[in-house]
Amino acid sequence: MEFASRQEGAGTVAEIAGRLDSVTSPACEQRIRELIDGGVTSLVLDLARLQYVSSAGLRVLLLTAKLLKARDGQLRIAGVQPEVRSVFDMSGFSAMFQVEESVAAALASLT
Amino acid sequence: MITVEHLSKRFGDLVVLKDVSVEIRKGEVISIIGPSGTGKSTFLRCLNLLERPSGGAIRIGGVNLLDRSTDVAKLRQRMNMVFQGFNLFSHLSVLENLTLGPRKLRGIAPAAADAKAMELLRLVGLAEKARQFPDELSGGQKQRVAIARCLAMEPDIILFDEPTSALDPTTVSEVLAVIRRLARDGMTMAIVTHEMDFARDVSNRVLYMDEGLIYEEGTPEQIFGSPAREKTRAFINRIRSFTHHIGSPDFDLYAMNAEIEAFCEKHVLPKPVRQRLLLVVEEVLQMYRPLLSTTALDLVIDYSERTQRLELAWESGGPPGNPLDPAHLPDELGLSIVENLAEEIAYERRDDRNRVSMRMREC
Repeated sequence: MEFASRQEGAGTVAEIAGRLDSVTSPACEQRIRELIDGGVTSLVLDLARLQYVSSAGLRVLLLTAKLLKARDGQLRIAGVQPEVRSVFDMSGFSAMFQVEESVAAALASLT
Repeated sequence: MITVEHLSKRFGDLVVLKDVSVEIRKGEVISIIGPSGTGKSTFLRCLNLLERPSGGAIRIGGVNLLDRSTDVAKLRQRMNMVFQGFNLFSHLSVLENLTLGPRKLRGIAPAAADAKAMELLRLVGLAEKARQFPDELSGGQKQRVAIARCLAMEPDIILFDEPTSALDPTTVSEVLAVIRRLARDGMTMAIVTHEMDFARDVSNRVLYMDEGLIYEEGTPEQIFGSPAREKTRAFINRIRSFTHHIGSPDFDLYAMNAEIEAFCEKHVLPKPVRQRLLLVVEEVLQMYRPLLSTTALDLVIDYSERTQRLELAWESGGPPGNPLDPAHLPDELGLSIVENLAEEIAYERRDDRNRVSMRMREC
């Protein structure tokens, strides 16, 4: 799992690549906590290079949403691959998150 | 007609046949199926003494073939064998191949032997090849001549040792057609074969041989349609299995994934199927995680080449309980993924073990 973040436009873009599974999720959670504890409130998760997600990964996304909500923050998800999309669909995630086509669209949708 | 009692055969320390008992009645067509190297051919070869059994008895018309006093040569004539490699006499014409036995062993006059031989060649559709030599014939034609040669000796029973295994697929059917015809005409036959559809069609009884025994026997409907025992089922359904033992909560998911990927590649399972399988396995393993400090877990993935379906079985010890019971799970995420990707998810407690089974859904 690769995690990289940068400031862009109105928010922070965090790119998560590779696998988000029971092995890699703890490290991902750690990185996200660091960002939010460091003051990030508008977060775009760029999942264009995420190839695999399991329930462990979904829980990290849920936690991210929760942490941001507690700080009146916003979360967007961009560029979801078909396999990841189908896991979102089967766990009802697609209804819970705002998924945008691209990072640009996600950033533009931040208020 | 033939009664085999506790037949055994070993080659030095290698026990090929442990204890085989079977009766072959007049007019029956018996198919013998099973994995390679399980003694099917050895069994057949014992019947006409091409191999000398280590123990047991073979009675033909009440006479034990293995008795020292028995006239084996005479008894052997009543049984005839068709081999995988045809075994025709290459220096003799097709007709001469057929007449040699009757003339030399049964004292039949040349003219009568020729006439009978031509009749049999007509029966197998090769009358026009009578004057030709075996090397001028195709594999299928050679085999049909071999069958005609058997028939020329007027045997009581014909033994077929994988009659079509050495033939290219296009000629298999012409030989099976001749064997079907013999079955219809009431010839008693024992056929070792890998042609399942043929065996199902033509036999009265099927013997599945494994572990040096007749592991299971029954009618074609029973053996091919609803095999009762595990190895028979695995053979009939061409089930390929992957097993993995998980002994601790800190199991190496990636190492197991690599093995599962290798299994999938071996059976040429497409990428989406692999992905879904790995996801289901990861999700179920997460559900078992809390239990793994007190019990080990055995996973079996069965892939049926016949149905192209993947079945998973999870077996663990410990107190009775279904690890997939929603009441025990922190949330529904994992379970909804599993239920989406797998069906017929069942739990049973058997022999002090907890067993969860499921089948991957078709895409």
